[in-house]
Amino acid sequence: MNIDYLSLMVILPILASIFLLILTSRLNPAARAKFDAPVRMASLIISLAMFVLATLMFLGQIGDVGWNDIAFNNFEFQESYVWIEQLGITWTVGVDGLSFPMVWLTTLLMPITIIATWNEKAGATYFPLMLMLGGALIGVFVALDMFMFYVFWELTLIPMFFMILKWGGKDRKYAAQKFFIYTFTASVIMLLGLLTMYFLMDTQTFSMQEMVVQASGANGNGVWLGLEVQKVLFIMLMLGFLVKLPAAPFHTWLPDAHVQAPTGGSMMLAGVMLKMGAYGMFRLPISLFPHALEEFRFIIMIIGLISLVWGAIVCLGQTNLKKMVAYSSVSHMGVILLGIASMQPLGWAAALFMMFAHGIISPMLFAVCGAFKHHYHSMEIGAMRGMAKHSPWLATSMMFGWMASLGLPLLAGFVAELMLMVAYWYAYGWWILLPGLVLAITAAYYLWSMQRTIFEGGEATQPPESLHGEPVPDIDNSEKIAMLLLAAFTILFGIMPWIFLDMMDMWTRSAMAFLGVGGA
Amino acid sequence: MSNQNELNMDMIETLGPEFTVFVGLLLIMIVPNLGNGTFRVPGTSIRLPWFLGGTRYKVVASPRLPGLLAVLTMAVALIQVIWYLCDSSAADGKVISSENGIEIFKVNMFSRIFEAIFFAALLLAAIASLDRLPTGSQKSDDIDVLFNNRRQADFYILMLTSALGMSVVALAQDMFVLFVGLELASFSTYVLVAFHKETRAGSEGGAKYFIVGSVASAVGLYGLSMLYLWAGSLQFDVLAAKWAADGATSLSMMALGFVLVGFAFKISAVPFHFAAPDAYSGANSPVAGVLATASKAMGMLGLMRVLLIITIPDSTADGSAVWIGLLGVLAAVTMTWGNIAALGSENPKRMLAYSSVAHAGYMLAALTAIGAWNWGLVDNAGDAMDVVVAALLFHMFVLVFFKLGAFLVLGVLEMEGGASRLSSLAGLGKREPLLAVAMFLFMISLAGVPPMAGFLSKLLVIMGIVEVATGTGSLSSIADAHWVWWLALLMVINSAISMFYYLRVGVVMYFHEPEEGRQGPLASGASIRIAIALCAIGTVAFGLVGGELIDMCRDAAESLR
Repeated sequence: MNIDYLSLMVILPILASIFLLILTSRLNPAARAKFDAPVRMASLIISLAMFVLATLMFLGQIGDVGWNDIAFNNFEFQESYVWIEQLGITWTVGVDGLSFPMVWLTTLLMPITIIATWNEKAGATYFPLMLMLGGALIGVFVALDMFMFYVFWELTLIPMFFMILKWGGKDRKYAAQKFFIYTFTASVIMLLGLLTMYFLMDTQTFSMQEMVVQASGANGNGVWLGLEVQKVLFIMLMLGFLVKLPAAPFHTWLPDAHVQAPTGGSMMLAGVMLKMGAYGMFRLPISLFPHALEEFRFIIMIIGLISLVWGAIVCLGQTNLKKMVAYSSVSHMGVILLGIASMQPLGWAAALFMMFAHGIISPMLFAVCGAFKHHYHSMEIGAMRGMAKHSPWLATSMMFGWMASLGLPLLAGFVAELMLMVAYWYAYGWWILLPGLVLAITAAYYLWSMQRTIFEGGEATQPPESLHGEPVPDIDNSEKIAMLLLAAFTILFGIMPWIFLDMMDMWTRSAMAFLGVGGA
Repeated sequence: MSNQNELNMDMIETLGPEFTVFVGLLLIMIVPNLGNGTFRVPGTSIRLPWFLGGTRYKVVASPRLPGLLAVLTMAVALIQVIWYLCDSSAADGKVISSENGIEIFKVNMFSRIFEAIFFAALLLAAIASLDRLPTGSQKSDDIDVLFNNRRQADFYILMLTSALGMSVVALAQDMFVLFVGLELASFSTYVLVAFHKETRAGSEGGAKYFIVGSVASAVGLYGLSMLYLWAGSLQFDVLAAKWAADGATSLSMMALGFVLVGFAFKISAVPFHFAAPDAYSGANSPVAGVLATASKAMGMLGLMRVLLIITIPDSTADGSAVWIGLLGVLAAVTMTWGNIAALGSENPKRMLAYSSVAHAGYMLAALTAIGAWNWGLVDNAGDAMDVVVAALLFHMFVLVFFKLGAFLVLGVLEMEGGASRLSSLAGLGKREPLLAVAMFLFMISLAGVPPMAGFLSKLLVIMGIVEVATGTGSLSSIADAHWVWWLALLMVINSAISMFYYLRVGVVMYFHEPEEGRQGPLASGASIRIAIALCAIGTVAFGLVGGELIDMCRDAAESLR
């Protein structure tokens, strides 16, 4: 039986969420509260089913794909249907070594996020929105049609907007609008770039696969555009992705959105939504205009360095735990840009693996922040001290997450950072010291915050004022499960990075060979 | 093509929807007056029943009757139009001409698709109005009922006359006939805007709209007389031939400039937009929705007739139309001004009015691009023009759903007292979730977020502009593209600006606490909710599967040439 599993993974959660939202929308609040538990359970089951599906696809139980042999611009599980015939718009899905790890990551994070925020109030609307977000994210990663890509790209904004708006912190109104407007602005400019590109093609098509062939001149018509036009289009496309990533100086929406977003929203935002930016860069501007990338290589490196340094320095000055974690994301996204700018196959693979590793580690950081807020009613780093004594679980999780994030060997983040350093050495020589130094700063702020919250004792071991004299609780079971899972996967991909690294490596090497760029 | 000039069954068949509206109009005028009245033959005592006046029958005295008749009429007319549009055999069009061979009406895909826009907007507005006007008690001899019934009849008669006027504009092949239709529709809308004469805002808006509108019409009429002086005829084909032969003379340019002022007022382009916010906020919401959709499409139709039929681009050096520079500036100023003014407006109806100004700017940008269709880099100039015209038609068609829908949601709020502050929307997410969801869909569709119809229409418009601008694709840098490309860039930047005020509506609906005294459930009213539901379905459906409609618009665009 031939089932289009990828389309199923996109449509099922979106339809389920619309169904669940409509089902409960006419009820009064009291009646809706009764639906919280069943809706939550239904969301968990659907997301778990998707995770099982993605894993079976990876293990070869479904489809029997040789994941490590997928060359650039080849796709597995590819299906295509006509959508709007008059404009040549199709619904085309497929995965390759670039997108499959992201799809798998999304399906992994959805159930974990649902478990981590199991006790969220107003579950009847919260969890369906989470499902819709997941479906839209998978849609972005599997779309091989430019129109479809853009539709899902924008669709991810809507559930996230509502999540921040309804369950966010004090300034949620400002943060939600800023988040929406920043990314929307960037993506409309990207859209104009896409359309301009569409009309400059020899054979006009929305198919990304076709476009790559045309752009490279592999169809025998020679390279399709002059370098000047390529550069303009490259900038327009990159702008959309740089804001989403986010890279300095477009990063200011991220701390606001993260600090205000509910825990689950932050986890998905940091875990997958930021990666949309990096994924889009590889999928569109880099694949289409590799020579423009070479031209702008230096600028991208500078942007990456600034994001890295700026994020790290701002981190040092933060007293708000969540804001610190948010800025550390900016810093890590700078690492991805540096990887791209190195133009080494190793550097690109490092960037891809960084996307993946950060996608597992940062949700853990935000889950810790969420638990911190949940239990101590405060985000201030100084608010809680001596955590190791009364909340050992939270203290352990926090320590683990922080260590993973600063790149402890045997954990996933280390692999990416090491690869990047090597690639950077190849590309730029002694300049490696600069990002290396910044990573040391990273260690400084993490260690400082841990020292203050977990270990520092003395008089401050008393519970903070914000608890109003109640006893200090540790994290609850659902949070424990989520943290354990995330920690387990962090260790797994630290010890056995080749699980996904092999297919990423294949993708980058074949891409560089196909595009004719880089020091391969 | 077939020519007809006498009234027979064939003509009635050709002008089917128009006759339906006409018959409906007569019925609304007559039916509510039916009664057991008699007529005494003079000089005798014989009284003949003649059914007008006297005590009215219970059925016809119902205050709901005129509205139902109007809805029925518009629905039948709309079905006839859609039947025509779906029937591909009718594609080549039919001409109705006067006895001396002057073409008056032309029925083809292009005119019919505009009628579909007009009738759809008016039908939705009529359905929504069923609940909105007070219908009072059902006792047939009550003077209030009589008054309400008459007032109801007035309202729907005006709706149907504006429908008739608009369809005349759509069919007209002669500037004069077009002008007559335009005035018929305009005068109906002037009165409709002022229909809430008891409120200060209603009478103020009505007066302003009337005064500015009549000045614009007068200027247009003056332009018409100059046009007649120049060409000796007001036929489109005669004018076009004259333009092709003479090129732009100072007289013809001035005349056309004046005529365009009349249409620019209708689409509320800057600087003729000043009356629009007042009119929209003074009128009741369904009427404001009609102004923003059907009335605007009518103005756009006039612009297209004048710019694309009479002054087709051929004369200047690079093959662009003479008006392209002026129109480009107008488009840029209109979209930017509309969006910036909307940012600062606290009244949701004024906000929607300014957003409608911004949309006029987007449409003008598309028209500007058509002016460049012949500039040399485009392979098949006619095709490029069709693409942009089709995009415009699609845009105006789907605009009916989400623009009118947004006004109708405000209409529900008006039923419980006023929707003139943004805070009257507060808490809608809690008070009636589905209504809030519909409003949110309309807002993001207006902003152009996929997968809504507004995104597809904006995409089509930008695609059209970019296609014209990039030409054959042999560009060595973006600076080589035609300058209308920069209008597309301005358009996407403006879309981003517009996001601020559209999102603010969502924030207010879901985030703010309801105003004092507005916590409870909203006023009931099934028909307005049905209309809103239809709008919401249209907004989503045409965004997801708009293919058939695009095809229809392409056919219509081809029949323009």
